[in-house]
Amino acid sequence: MTTFKFGSKVLFLTLLSSILLGGISFAAQPELNAYTIWSERYANAVFSAFTEETGIKVNWMRFSSGEVQARLEAEKKNPQVDVVFGNMAEAFINGIPKGLFEPYMPEGSNQIPEKFRDKNGYWTGVAIDPICFMFNAKFLKDHGLEAPTSWKDLLNPAYKSQLQMADARTSGTAMYRILSLVEAMGEDEAYSYQRDLNKNVQVYTKSGAGGALPIARGQAAGGIFFLVDALEMQQKGYDIAISYPVDGVVAGIEAMALVSGAKHPDLAKKFLDWASTERMQRIYEESQINLIPSNPNVKISNPGLDMSKVNVLPLDIKWAGENRERLVERWINEVLK
Amino acid sequence: MKYLSSNNTKRLDRSLIPVLAVLWALLGLFVLYPLMRLLYIVFIVEGSFTLSNLSEVFTNWYNRKALLDSLILATSVAISGTFLGFIFAFAETRISLPRIVKWFIGAIVVLPFVSPPFTSSIALTLAIGPNGLLLKLLGIPDFNIYGFWGTWLAETLTYFPIAFLTLAAVLNAIDQNLEDAAMSMGSSRWRTFHTITLPLSAPGIANAFLLLFGCSLADFATPLVMAGHTFPVLTTQAYLQITGMYDLQGGATLSFILLIPALLVYLLQHYWIEKRSYVTVTGKSGGRGSARGAGTVLETLILLLISIISLFIIFLYSMIFFGSLVKVWGVDNSFTLENYVYVFTVGKEAIKDTLLIAVTSTFLGSVIGICIGYLVSRPDLPWRKTLEFTSLLNYVLPGTVVGIAYVVAFNSGPLVLTGTMFIIVALCAFRYDAAGIRAIVASMQQIDTSIEEASLSLGASRATTFFRVTLPLIAPAVTTGMRYLFVVSMTAVSAIIFLVSVRWSLLTVRILECITELLFAQAAAFSVVLVLIVFAAMGIIALMFRLIYPNYMRAR
Repeated sequence: MTTFKFGSKVLFLTLLSSILLGGISFAAQPELNAYTIWSERYANAVFSAFTEETGIKVNWMRFSSGEVQARLEAEKKNPQVDVVFGNMAEAFINGIPKGLFEPYMPEGSNQIPEKFRDKNGYWTGVAIDPICFMFNAKFLKDHGLEAPTSWKDLLNPAYKSQLQMADARTSGTAMYRILSLVEAMGEDEAYSYQRDLNKNVQVYTKSGAGGALPIARGQAAGGIFFLVDALEMQQKGYDIAISYPVDGVVAGIEAMALVSGAKHPDLAKKFLDWASTERMQRIYEESQINLIPSNPNVKISNPGLDMSKVNVLPLDIKWAGENRERLVERWINEVLK
Repeated sequence: MKYLSSNNTKRLDRSLIPVLAVLWALLGLFVLYPLMRLLYIVFIVEGSFTLSNLSEVFTNWYNRKALLDSLILATSVAISGTFLGFIFAFAETRISLPRIVKWFIGAIVVLPFVSPPFTSSIALTLAIGPNGLLLKLLGIPDFNIYGFWGTWLAETLTYFPIAFLTLAAVLNAIDQNLEDAAMSMGSSRWRTFHTITLPLSAPGIANAFLLLFGCSLADFATPLVMAGHTFPVLTTQAYLQITGMYDLQGGATLSFILLIPALLVYLLQHYWIEKRSYVTVTGKSGGRGSARGAGTVLETLILLLISIISLFIIFLYSMIFFGSLVKVWGVDNSFTLENYVYVFTVGKEAIKDTLLIAVTSTFLGSVIGICIGYLVSRPDLPWRKTLEFTSLLNYVLPGTVVGIAYVVAFNSGPLVLTGTMFIIVALCAFRYDAAGIRAIVASMQQIDTSIEEASLSLGASRATTFFRVTLPLIAPAVTTGMRYLFVVSMTAVSAIIFLVSVRWSLLTVRILECITELLFAQAAAFSVVLVLIVFAAMGIIALMFRLIYPNYMRAR
């Protein structure tokens, strides 16, 4: 070692250069940046298909619904992404007055029914995902129970501290659970029901899908999920029962939108055009993504996605977006307390 | 202000001025500026000072409960963790055990410390959660682990190693000749213990207690997984406020509340404990006495407790390892390597990014840490206490606070860094260099100034003296700091979770992702890979210093 030749200037230079070294950023190439709430596998299937067909690389991150929204808001002055793909429609509606999104009517979006997209083009629905019950089949058998078929069934004392479901503060699933209840029984009734249901809840998970694995493994008896997460567990080989309340559920609309102030608006529009095509929604079945296409022309063969016998309630999506924060506050103050 | 005064009039060595200027500029930018922006968002609404944000947060009963819960949890974890740490340290230093057993204890204790924060919580839920493996094995009925008990247990397991390391050093430093003397004068073992060993280690115990209190207060990952809705704590509340309620201001305010007890703990530690000298390293003591036992009955009890806890930790980690090698956890337990294939294909970017960030942070943080540690130890440096305090500030503050402050500071305004690697590196370097700084300061205090003076008076320049004399002497402290920096840069999540971007993701965040996406086996495989990387890196760092300073003697 020849360290004795070093002077304090070298120390200073080392310090400075190491800081510069740390600051070197990557070369900027036109790449699309996106947030999604879809799981890794789903998002990967969609984004890589896009890259394959257009040659445009996509950098994307997966966050929970609320997190995506919070990030967009924090980054408003310096947007980090160009599109949001696959957040719940009511989150987009919530973000419009905050100036988070820019209207853009993707080519081919007219094939998607009007109830699944914004008439001004602020968001376009790409998939439908109803709320369902998911229970551990072995638990039901061991306790001599049938899969629940009404909201009231969940109040059964046999489920005491046995249900896992999502926390309304972070999860889109929880929001749609609350919306289902509000549509099925009216707002006040829905909250008094949830207070009763609380006794049977083991834990509220951060993410909507968070409780599915514990239920599949038998750590908990069951819970309320988006169909996509429940079918995913079934697909993995776990023995679970999926059922629906006769009093009805609402279905979430998974949508996409252009971020306002996007750094690559052209790429973003190209993506939104591409993602509105029938071709994109066919990826769901090809990649075993258990979502219901919003485009009625896309055929599905999975019987698990057949909603013809399910009481799917109409949802006032605009009301949902505008009342989201109030409903969550009410959940914290009335249900958790 | 105690910090601001410097009654030392000695002139500062000129060659240090540029280094000092750069350091202060960096600390200003990456420590003080974000904190100022955080305070601004909490206290300034529409241009004027207000307490309305604070009072609004406190009108919410859930937030009041979170504050109380945080304090209760931190106190309990500090008590149990310090107790466990002491037991382990006592066994390590006072009970004669075969070397291999001592090594084994050391290795086990390090495990929870180097593994990503979510893994132990997840393993714990699988082991003793509802329908847990261990409960079934032992035939214990289910109980609800979510809430206080689960969080407390997970945090105790995660943080007691810190108490162990602190207390082992303290117990080692107590001159055992004192204990020998007492015993040879007819004092019983118990009497020796509680009249000599315990009082001499009391400041160490207090220190460990405060350290653990701070760790638990700032912990974010464990409560996120374990606390559930019945036991809200401030860190997770701040996180949920931001991620769930789209409320940056509310989250910032909650994290500001967290800042107060954290600072109090630091000040207590600083003024009450660091002032007392309890380490009896003289360099002149005679031969070390052989390890003294604690009496057969007590020794057996201690060893039994240690075995149970060690076995439990091994059980938890083998579950993670096993989980990473099976197809579908709990359903199809056939052996597969596909989870590792997943880690090295889908997770390749994250591994690369994490390594790059950790290496850069370790390097940068060490250079900064050495500079600060060295400068702070110089009595002639103006404002040296202020420099020390500022450099430790990001570390003293909980990760959530620092993460939110960085988001607030670098998302907009004159310096926009969000989405770059640099913001993560800066956070790691300026937050986790603290362990190195502290170790270096402590180690500098043990070096007799006459050694440096001798070198200087023989004509060596200050820099030569620093590199040839001082640095080799503080090398163990530097490696300690580097190892810590690397480990924490690899595993930290509380601050970084706010800073990851589409371009830069990290392993811990991927693990959290996997957990929320139900990819348990993949999360386990990620954790195993991460732990292996950390161990490899620790080895490399140790080896590097052996090669550069072959002559430095290990302290013990």
